[in-house]
Amino acid sequence: MNNFKNIFILTAGVLCFAACKPEFKKPTATSGTADFSRYIAVGNSLTAGYADNGLYLEGQQNSYPSIIAKQMQQVGGGTFTQPLFTQAQANGSGYVKLTGFNAAGSPVLAPVTDQLAIRGVVPIPGFGNVTTYTKYSGDNNNYGIPGMKLLHITLTAYGNLNGYYERLLPGNAGTNSTAYLDYVTAKPFTFFSNWMGNNDALLYAVSGGAGDVLTDKTTFTQLYTLLLSRLTAAGQKGICATIPDVTAIPYFNTVTPALILASVQKANPTVQAIFINAKSSADVTSTTYAARPATAADMITLTFPTSKIGTPVATPAGNLPYGLTPYTPIENQYVLDANEVALAKDYINSYNTTIKAVAASKGIAVADMYSFLNDIKAHGLVVDGLTLTSNYITGGIFSLDGVHLTPRGYAIVANQFIKTINAQYNSNIPLTGVANYRGVKFP
Amino acid sequence: MMRKILLLLLALLPAVTFAQGFQVNVAGQKQIGMGHTGTGLVQDGASIFFNPGAVVLLPDNSVQAGVSPLVFKSAFNPSGSNDVYDSKSKVATPFSGYAVFGPKASWWKVGLGVYIPYGGLVNWGNNWAGKYALESLNLKAIYFQPTVSVRLNKNFSIGGGFVYNRGSVDLTRAIPLANSSGADGQAELKGSGNGYGWNAGLFIKTDVGLSIGLDYRSKVNTTINNGDALFQVPASVQANFPQPNTFKAGLPLPSTTTLGLGYTYKQWLFAVDVNFVKWDVYKALAFDYTSNTVALQDTYSPRNYKNAFSYRVGAQYSLPTNWAFRAGGGYIMKAAQDGYVTPEVPDADRYYLTGGLGYKATKNFDIDLSFEYERLMSRTQTNIESQLSGTYKTNVYIPGISLTYHW
Repeated sequence: MNNFKNIFILTAGVLCFAACKPEFKKPTATSGTADFSRYIAVGNSLTAGYADNGLYLEGQQNSYPSIIAKQMQQVGGGTFTQPLFTQAQANGSGYVKLTGFNAAGSPVLAPVTDQLAIRGVVPIPGFGNVTTYTKYSGDNNNYGIPGMKLLHITLTAYGNLNGYYERLLPGNAGTNSTAYLDYVTAKPFTFFSNWMGNNDALLYAVSGGAGDVLTDKTTFTQLYTLLLSRLTAAGQKGICATIPDVTAIPYFNTVTPALILASVQKANPTVQAIFINAKSSADVTSTTYAARPATAADMITLTFPTSKIGTPVATPAGNLPYGLTPYTPIENQYVLDANEVALAKDYINSYNTTIKAVAASKGIAVADMYSFLNDIKAHGLVVDGLTLTSNYITGGIFSLDGVHLTPRGYAIVANQFIKTINAQYNSNIPLTGVANYRGVKFP
Repeated sequence: MMRKILLLLLALLPAVTFAQGFQVNVAGQKQIGMGHTGTGLVQDGASIFFNPGAVVLLPDNSVQAGVSPLVFKSAFNPSGSNDVYDSKSKVATPFSGYAVFGPKASWWKVGLGVYIPYGGLVNWGNNWAGKYALESLNLKAIYFQPTVSVRLNKNFSIGGGFVYNRGSVDLTRAIPLANSSGADGQAELKGSGNGYGWNAGLFIKTDVGLSIGLDYRSKVNTTINNGDALFQVPASVQANFPQPNTFKAGLPLPSTTTLGLGYTYKQWLFAVDVNFVKWDVYKALAFDYTSNTVALQDTYSPRNYKNAFSYRVGAQYSLPTNWAFRAGGGYIMKAAQDGYVTPEVPDADRYYLTGGLGYKATKNFDIDLSFEYERLMSRTQTNIESQLSGTYKTNVYIPGISLTYHW
């Protein structure tokens, strides 16, 4: 029986091999010519992790700067602290969620109104009401301020006008006098990301060219140069990003004139066109608007309540159906018409030329998000077995507001930043796994 | 009404593929010990698999059963990342069993073999980079082969058998539709089907210690009808994935041709096998769902596999006592071409080393132990369909044991 014993010992011996996993040799971590020991993120809502029409904890935790910082930590990056909402106030400003689809297949959204971090509403003379949020006073590396334009970086009063910025400052709205530029550069840092400037064109666009204005091109250049000079004052390295084309976002590509017309024609085949109130010229100073039939070059906002179409509107000629006659066009704030689209595109191109030129003059990397998102719009993006597109809800990249991104969208943006940083500074920050982040949540 | 969302959730659907990795080379423990050679040898009842032409030359009637618990350790390192995902430890248990009967030293023998020439068991979990390509796969093709073997003259014998295959597949994959807590949906395709084929061999025994074997095992087209197509997705999009639903898919198992040489010298036995698998039957793989929707379309995935060879050598040294020692190895060429490698089995060129031990416990009772270590070459791939990009490394550990009673 001794032989049997030997056999069992041998069997046990070979079985221990079974514990051995294949090993991979990790590349030697390097930050290259950059220093990631204190990374700060400068920017607006995209930088803050804004999503689904609000800033809330889950969005913050999946902000692209936090993703980049986490990956940077594998090559010597320091801690990265964000002004997170607390668990008890996890829903922050409130946001919208998808509650289902109606019989026609359209998504139904509902606001989330519990566990908010809203502190109050403060009337600011000469400006209006400002919603304020629970203050955050700890260390901070993420300076993303929703709603902020490049135009605002030197405004000393801005801490009174933007509740998200006010939240980070010690004083209450009405008493603050720290310009954003001074705030972000107050504490030393070694590396920055700067994705500022989107709102200088985007806010004009999302308001249908009616509720906001485009930042003057020359002013943009001056402020961008100033911002970058201050960010690189101590020889810091960093990365800037270009501004996405407004027409690349689902906010403008989901409700189209053709779609509206087709659904009207289902009920009334004789309708030939829908009418919009459109800007008469592509001159930025012109304020002349006139009704005309909508074309494929006109963009309707995602926020347009389509139920208004056909409802009676009182006019001098009597009650006429909304959107279906030249006397009752779809209102300006719901339409970025062809001339406004051209204007927005022209300004964004100019801003991006500035961003690239100023960054290049300082030896700073530029992540070309304009081209990246336009490319996804045109071709989609297949990654890790996922087919991502710029489509609303199903695309996986854009959140329910059609402008900001899902955690998965922020992850692909973070990877784009990382690739550009690595290329510019010979670092090897590892990419993050896109599959680890969610797209839109379905009930 | 106008913000109508067409749930064009394409590229969600799984596809089953085979690759060289799915060829399970564990048909007999004596043969595994010798590098899985055996087409040109007369070892034991496993000749039903290796070469039915050799079965008639077996000296005894026999019944044998063996099992080779197979541990498949694969790991994936996504491109540009330091993350490493290990497949979960799962032990597949490919088994084989053979019975051979006939009058002593007669011109004929009959036999029955049960073996698993193709299979795969891998589980990457639901939390890895490629979960939208594959979470887990359990695939088995069990062949049943009644066999007749006939000696034509002193030097030539032939044999052949009918093959009935019972194939089964169970595949899971994440669906990128997050529920309200952010968790993915999941697709599971589960079914089994039947297929038929044959296995024939020629065995030539020379007078100078050299033997030559040639074996051909035909392609076995296995069709899965009425497989269960289970889709777990958030309730608001469930209508796009009708339940219950079934699928139909073909699983063509390729033919193999093997030429084997054996040489006996004193207490030594040497063997060489060259094996050719006609993998090019996998031009593409199609799934046909009974209920289709805009989101759930039938799939057609090009595979474009290439035929591949494997080369095997082995030796055995028998002591005059009851022991036999075996060693061998081989090299297997990949069937999946660049761009078509999937996590189902991260196919790559591979080599393997084997060892074995035979012990005659009594006059009628043999115990055989085998061990095989297979190492797949590291392969960095971007799959054309999924764009899953990274480096696969795989090791396979296969201990095995068989018991034989012969009389």
